[in-house]
Amino acid sequence: MGLKVEHIDKSFGQLHVIKDLSMEVKEGSIFGFLGANGAGKTTTMRMILDILRPDCGSITWNGKDMRDIPRHNLGYLPEERGLYPKVEVQEQLLFLARLNGLSKTAALAQLDEWLERFEIPQYRNRKVEELSKGNQQKIQFLATILHDPLILIMDEPFSGLDPVNANLLKDALLEMHRRGKTMIFSTHQLEQVEELCEDVVIIDKGQTIIAGSVREVKRQQGRNVARLKLDNDSEARWLDALEGVQVTKRRQDYIEMHIQSNLNPNLIVEEALCHGAIISRFELGEPSLTDIFIERVGKTALQDASPVIATQAGGMK
Amino acid sequence: MAKNTVAPSEKQTTEQETTSVSASLARSGNQNNLRNIGLIIEREFKNRVTQRSFRISTAIILILIVIGSFVPTIVAYISSVSNSQTKVVVVNNTGTIAGMNNVALQQYFKASLNGTTTGQSTSTKPAYSINTVTTDTISNFQKQVMDGSTGVLLVLNRTPAQDVQFTYYTNANPVSDSNVSNVQGVASQLSILDRASRLGLTPDQTGKLFAQPQFTVVNIGQSQNNRSVSDIVAGYILAYAGIILIFMSVYLYGVTVATGVAEEKGSRIMEILVNAATPFQLMTGKIIGIGSAGLAQMTAFVIVGISALLIQNPIKAALIGNNSSALNLNITGSSITLLLLLLVYFILGFLLYATLFAAMGALVKRQDEVNNAVQPLTWLFMVGYFVSFFGIYNPDATWVKVVSYIPFWTPTTMLMRIGVGSATWWEILLTIVIMIVSIFVCAIFAARIYRYGVLMYGQKPSLRQLFKIARMN
Repeated sequence: MGLKVEHIDKSFGQLHVIKDLSMEVKEGSIFGFLGANGAGKTTTMRMILDILRPDCGSITWNGKDMRDIPRHNLGYLPEERGLYPKVEVQEQLLFLARLNGLSKTAALAQLDEWLERFEIPQYRNRKVEELSKGNQQKIQFLATILHDPLILIMDEPFSGLDPVNANLLKDALLEMHRRGKTMIFSTHQLEQVEELCEDVVIIDKGQTIIAGSVREVKRQQGRNVARLKLDNDSEARWLDALEGVQVTKRRQDYIEMHIQSNLNPNLIVEEALCHGAIISRFELGEPSLTDIFIERVGKTALQDASPVIATQAGGMK
Repeated sequence: MAKNTVAPSEKQTTEQETTSVSASLARSGNQNNLRNIGLIIEREFKNRVTQRSFRISTAIILILIVIGSFVPTIVAYISSVSNSQTKVVVVNNTGTIAGMNNVALQQYFKASLNGTTTGQSTSTKPAYSINTVTTDTISNFQKQVMDGSTGVLLVLNRTPAQDVQFTYYTNANPVSDSNVSNVQGVASQLSILDRASRLGLTPDQTGKLFAQPQFTVVNIGQSQNNRSVSDIVAGYILAYAGIILIFMSVYLYGVTVATGVAEEKGSRIMEILVNAATPFQLMTGKIIGIGSAGLAQMTAFVIVGISALLIQNPIKAALIGNNSSALNLNITGSSITLLLLLLVYFILGFLLYATLFAAMGALVKRQDEVNNAVQPLTWLFMVGYFVSFFGIYNPDATWVKVVSYIPFWTPTTMLMRIGVGSATWWEILLTIVIMIVSIFVCAIFAARIYRYGVLMYGQKPSLRQLFKIARMN
């Protein structure tokens, strides 16, 4: 069961933002929601939260229409800062928790625990606008979870966090996982997804392009990565002529290539030996989600000439 | 909702968008309705009164009110201290006037001149000192006037017709010299007394001759007949002050509401808030919260202002021993009724406008657009303001009455009519009922626009679309 999004559509004016999007989030799982900027992630999240309503299609939680789920069961972390800038941390977190149905004492107890866990009890009486971006993000996360919701919907929770704080947040997500919460989050840091998520969906222009468990997605991609290092030939131009092999990086230390899954990797070794090469390294690996993302989304994004994706996709330095 | 993807026109799609947004936030959200509204009121109130700008502006205005009410007293005090005595030399070359010799004449001048300006003065020296002499050579005294040691030289002679002739010598600028009129007043009285005595009347008879007649003003216009003149004056003053107060405060706090909404929208906390509370709860809580903060501020202004005015008379009496020129604002029964009605109309007016201000605030994209967006409301409110100011001269005119029944203009106009005594109790009751009904209608209208507006960051809808939104669901 869990959260089911079925065939939703959404238009703003002439802009068709979401096209026949479906996805399923198992209860108690961590779900990665990926897509390039403007792919429709935030819109979809808002529809799950019932802030926006889809033009058609349905969104259900354990078979019940999402609209009938009491609001305090949901926690939302918006992409942009959603806090009162001039209000003290404790005051606004208590206000939000109480607005979500918590008693004052319960809210205070939760607040104490989480401020301690995030190592920021000293910011209790500081105004939000005085905090660093990373600390603001932590406060934003507390605003999402303090009322102990069942379902957490987070729009880029890792943005603005340094590696230490990103780890703190990761631990917090795992703690929420232990407590049986269902979590959906979007991010551009795909390593976090590989580390945390069981299932993932990648959308592009409002449509699902890849969905499934992280392992499946990697396997389904139908290709693997190979890294080759030759002591006497750092370029290995003959690779370009090889069928089913696509060189992605020529670096000083190794050459990286994608090989199709039906291609026997031994072929590359044989070919290298034929060219009289001295092999010092040859390894096979799964593609990372980043590779898959760039491959699948980057192609379409390139047509839009989206500069960020374009440089990533063509990044052969 | 039917999907319309076949070349949708601009208008259709905006309506489509409108429907989906407003429908979505209309969910059955009356979970903990009152509790949530209470929490939001508490937050808004606390947020307002703990703001440094709010506290500073309140303090500054309170100080200004106190200073303002003390200014007349201080001016009177300073002038009474710095105005040293004016030395008057009366040269009497007429013998006796009205049977008074020089000594009696000196007493007469002293009593008349000092009496007319300072009353029963005991604590400070009188404004005039009088010296009466009889001499033919006045050049010495003229010199004293020239060098300033004598303020006024008054020479009394008799004309051939035996009338008393007064010649007034002074060194002061005739425009600003208030002594002339004082002395002239005494002189004409003296002249009358003198003529009367020459006609053989006793001073008693003369006194009777010039006694004030009984003169009673009876106003037979409607509803004025029960009010004393001081009540009517107090009514005018309170009406003027009340109209200005209502206008300023409703506008001020209305803009605060609109800014608050735009702020929440701008800081995107709205996205979290609409997940926790319904738009109606958010709007109501905000309006009542800011309204109570405003009411607290206004109450402080009014209480401090009235107390500061009330202590002026005792202070003046203690400082100068002078009561006559103080503002006589008696807080009588009818003034208290007017103050209560001022409170009622302020609350009703604020609620009515605040709902509209909230809706306007929800429609802007950024905070700096608020002032432009609320402009139409300002103009609407201004109409009532001007009607009350011009209508005060003709409060019983039909058009003024009609305007006072239109809820947007009721608070200021009715206050004026009550202040000048042209409104009956049933009119007051009726306008209050009309206002309460209008507040409910406006609140429903505004809540729908609010619901639609709070999460829209796109193009501002036209007035026609607004009505469409308001008519839906």
